[in-house]
Amino acid sequence: MHVFILAGGFATRLWPLTEKRAKPLLPLAGKPLLSYIIDQIPAGMDITISTNAVFAEDFRKWRKDVPREKIEIHIEDAGHEDQKPGALGAVAMWLESNGIDEDLLLVAGDNYSELNIEKFLEHRTDRPLLAAHDIGETGLAQNFGTIIAGEPASGSPTLPVVSFEEKPLHPKSTFVSTGWWFLPKSCLTVLKEHAISHPDNVGGVFEEFLRRDLKVDCYVFDGRWRDIGSFESYMSIHREIVGERAIVDPGSSILAGTELMGSIVIGPNVKIEKSILRDCIVFGKTTILDSVLEGCIIDENCTLESIDLTDKMLRAGTVLRNKGINPKMSGVF
Amino acid sequence: MRRTLLLICWLATDAALFIAAYAIAYFLRVGFILSSDFPLSLYLQTVLTVTPLWLAVMLQLGIFRLSRVQSDTRNISHILFAAVLGLALFSLAYYFLHDKFFSRLLLIYAGILSFLFAVVWHLAFDQWQRQMLRRNPPAFPMLVVGANREAERFIKLLNERRSPFKPVAVLDSQGSPHRELGGIPVAGKLNKLEEVIKTMRPTHLVQCSNLEHTINLMSVCRQHRITYLLLPSVLGAIAGSSEIIEGRSVIMVKDGGF
Repeated sequence: MHVFILAGGFATRLWPLTEKRAKPLLPLAGKPLLSYIIDQIPAGMDITISTNAVFAEDFRKWRKDVPREKIEIHIEDAGHEDQKPGALGAVAMWLESNGIDEDLLLVAGDNYSELNIEKFLEHRTDRPLLAAHDIGETGLAQNFGTIIAGEPASGSPTLPVVSFEEKPLHPKSTFVSTGWWFLPKSCLTVLKEHAISHPDNVGGVFEEFLRRDLKVDCYVFDGRWRDIGSFESYMSIHREIVGERAIVDPGSSILAGTELMGSIVIGPNVKIEKSILRDCIVFGKTTILDSVLEGCIIDENCTLESIDLTDKMLRAGTVLRNKGINPKMSGVF
Repeated sequence: MRRTLLLICWLATDAALFIAAYAIAYFLRVGFILSSDFPLSLYLQTVLTVTPLWLAVMLQLGIFRLSRVQSDTRNISHILFAAVLGLALFSLAYYFLHDKFFSRLLLIYAGILSFLFAVVWHLAFDQWQRQMLRRNPPAFPMLVVGANREAERFIKLLNERRSPFKPVAVLDSQGSPHRELGGIPVAGKLNKLEEVIKTMRPTHLVQCSNLEHTINLMSVCRQHRITYLLLPSVLGAIAGSSEIIEGRSVIMVKDGGF
């Protein structure tokens, strides 16, 4: 079986954090999101990570720090969002160009989950199998691919999928697809055919399987799952994973008068003085002086002085110095 | 550079018109002769002394700013104020330099003419300047962030009025389904910001939506020396203006009164 991780997106919704960084390489509690995914995959499996040309170097750099073998970086020929072959298109192209004819574990590189992959794969048969998560509310399911499952066969831990809807307006189920898909090699032809007309819709291939009367199963797992698609979801999983503690890189200095509260992650070469931080992520190489930050994500090379911010993502290189009132300013405009 | 040359030209022609207005006033009052009682040379010497001060007042009042609409009542009142101040400066300067007062009617002529000349010339020059500044490549290309109706209205307004600020591209954080907005191409989402800045070289960026990106857009602008503008509607304010209270900049929305 081959593992194919989709990491070729441009993550425009997380701008500016993803302006110069791929979403799967965003740090979560000080470790790239992609590393969590790799750690979940059983040892010995062949892994291909598919990314675009813009972020290729970042992935190569990340690869050097991962001791595990059998990880290959596949570069899609896309220097821009408009040139993207689409997630499914990228899979199909890779299958075709490498002559892959084996079972496939397809993984979305921008999801965090506590799915036990070994258990998930124990339940694979000759049918496509997807990992599902009960999100609890139909309102929340609107943003994802939803799964309407039938009754399980007696004793089976998996459920037959009756229908699949991509981001429905009125979801009929709270089961959502989590970005972990097992595809037996018998289904790869359908995938390649479907990718020609729908290159950007990975979830759609499951609708296509059902349309062609191919049986699809889902495995519902407990535990956390998040699609890191927005500031809110990123902050929320950060809070859950980090909890009530501060993870501070040893290369950073937390100086007098600073209070770190809630979930805090401070990257390398950060200097914080006379400031209050609650539930914040500071990526690195940043100076924070006399500031109050709550629920903020501060990218690298920022300088903040006498600033109060709440729920903000700051672009790399942002300099905010509150010089206070300028007494020379007159009222004439 | 284009703007600097135009401004120099504007200031020079304004100065010439100011002097001309006073010269005409002289001849209207004295007659078309060169009087020895009230020598034209002394009179013009004083006018030349006052001209830079009058221009300084005009500059200080922001009359030459690109954001000024020359036909606006506020602008015309500022020109009037500058004309009156010019007149007062001239009277004082003449008294100080030559220890004399002179005809009140001449002052009235000079005041009226300098005001009228300035108004008419500013209206004409402004139209010409707008044309020159909008010529391709525009002197002040403007990048619009946000593809909502407010942005569309703003683009239309700038283009209809042939504003010196020429919208060249639109970016939208949500990804607009439209290819263009008010005739301006929608270049994509905010991840294309750096690319658009490199290719279009905007001098101004106006934010029309998504308040959460304000700080980051300002940061980009600062890095690229772009002037950042914000529509009050982004804050939920329909019509607001920048004011200063005790030295601190604020956006003010008022419904009558103060």
